[in-house]
Amino acid sequence: MNRTLARSLPVAAIGVAILLPMFMGDYPLQVARNIMLYMALAVTWDMLLRSGQISFGIAGLFGLGSYASILAVVRGGMPGWLSIPFAGLFAGLAAFLIGFLILRLRHTYFSIVTLALGEIFRIIIHNMHDFSGGPEGIVVQQGIIFGGASRNLYWLTLAGLAVALLASYWFEKSKVRFALTAIRNNEISAKSSGVNIFRWLLLAFVVTSAIQGMMGGIFVMSYGFASPETVFSADFTLLPLAMALLGGIHSTVGPILGGLLLGLVSEWLKLQIPYGHLVVYGVMIVVVILFMPQGLLGLARKTMRAAGRNRK
Amino acid sequence: MALKRRNLIISVFALAATAALLLWRPTVLIYGLQAAGLYAAIAIPMGLVLGIVHIVNLAHGEFMMLASYATYFTCKALGMDPLIAIVPTAIVTAIFGWIIFQLTIRRALKAPELNQLILTFGIAIVFSQAINLVFTSQTYKMPLDYVSASMDIGELTFGIWSFVFVAAAILFAGGLNFFLKRTTTGKAALAVGQNPKGAAIVGIDVYRTYGLVFALAIALVGAMGALFLTKSAIFPTVGSPFTMKSFCLVAMAGVGNIPGILSASVLLGLTENFLRAFRGSREWADIVFFVLIIVVIMSRSLKGRKS
Repeated sequence: MNRTLARSLPVAAIGVAILLPMFMGDYPLQVARNIMLYMALAVTWDMLLRSGQISFGIAGLFGLGSYASILAVVRGGMPGWLSIPFAGLFAGLAAFLIGFLILRLRHTYFSIVTLALGEIFRIIIHNMHDFSGGPEGIVVQQGIIFGGASRNLYWLTLAGLAVALLASYWFEKSKVRFALTAIRNNEISAKSSGVNIFRWLLLAFVVTSAIQGMMGGIFVMSYGFASPETVFSADFTLLPLAMALLGGIHSTVGPILGGLLLGLVSEWLKLQIPYGHLVVYGVMIVVVILFMPQGLLGLARKTMRAAGRNRK
Repeated sequence: MALKRRNLIISVFALAATAALLLWRPTVLIYGLQAAGLYAAIAIPMGLVLGIVHIVNLAHGEFMMLASYATYFTCKALGMDPLIAIVPTAIVTAIFGWIIFQLTIRRALKAPELNQLILTFGIAIVFSQAINLVFTSQTYKMPLDYVSASMDIGELTFGIWSFVFVAAAILFAGGLNFFLKRTTTGKAALAVGQNPKGAAIVGIDVYRTYGLVFALAIALVGAMGALFLTKSAIFPTVGSPFTMKSFCLVAMAGVGNIPGILSASVLLGLTENFLRAFRGSREWADIVFFVLIIVVIMSRSLKGRKS
């Protein structure tokens, strides 16, 4: 019974996710799009975290992908749909080159450098007035992709999320998982067991960055506008991080759970308090780190285990 | 021997460059030094925490921001000058910092570094967003006349108030040096920083020392918050760039090297103001710091690899 439930639940969730636009108006669909966007970022952040590396540069790669996509359309005349995979490719390539430099760093140093890189991308875009539109941002003259039909935009974002989830599933089910876990647990013993640490880290970094860049492409194509302040906003680092932590790190389900929960709560709070509703995210991060470092998922596992023991 | 020679060459070059700069663009040197004073005075407390408690406090700048807001509203209500408020602010923020330490950071001291980093990141968000919630993103500024005091040397006119930051930085560095080397509590703190287990064996209360050092660092940052208010407008995210800059300077100087923070700040301040002096490169001044941080960290990691 339990196993059939576990099998059918994801299928049902996928069905609901695909059919959702049939029953919903424009506003709920936009909320859903936002949540899926952050969820995808949360999952990719977690994918790199599985190797023990904390990135604070989600916003940087997201913004890089956003600008790659919008500049390809506006300056290069690329069709909108093609610019999305292009954004992913571009961010992935950038991550590949950067990775050679920064993946030798560990701990705090890696985190700080990813944060600094994001800021560097932002300042470069900000200062290249003629090419990138500068601080005022840049608009897609040809209009939004799909003519702005909210259903199609929803499915587009859902497809982006699906890519992220599939990649995460692959990371979980293939030998990538063993490599990353080994690196996280003990780098020296992983190395002596023949794990090529740098190569696996590079793989994880490039894949996650490419997906983050692609989500950036989806984001700007859905709104037809990008400015340094919107696409490099710290929210794109902060919210995914809080979501993954709340749900439970080192898994695919955790970030989904956390994303769903925090996404809905924040959307509600945004309507209630226009300034400073993000304080909830900060409190969430602090509380989770102090009292349940394994997140909701870990808490659920613990209670289930305790219940199982009692039954015996 | 070779090292000494290299150091000599480097210092000769540095002196020559400074002299050339002084003749060519004196304002770069003056404003660069003033900026360096501000950076150093804020970075030194972070260096203290990192050197002794071994925590990267990503809420460092936010503590300063909170102190600035507290000072602003107290001074506004009482019609007081922020300069008088420096000492009371330092005391209040020290208590506040101690409470925050006991409630949160203390519990994470034994946790993996990941947790500590994310914890202080979370605290930073709570602080800045709570201020955003209460006071919105509006900016506040104290109208003070003495801030615009200026001095003329020949043709040159420049503001002198910001030299107060240089004084603060030197005072902090000297004071901490005295505290850590001459007083019993300071020596105990240094011992805890070097080897917590050993310090515990000889009878030092490690956690009490951590709390004390953290509170002291936050007190210094609080004092800087009051001082910062005299010169600048404040808003919820005013502190966060300083967190990054402080970490960069501490990383550049090397953990536990407080005089090194001073020289690193001078380098950062001068380079930024050098770029600001020209029309074409003015906008790129902000990038210096981020490039510098990456270069420093990379070169350190490569050096570590070799040895």
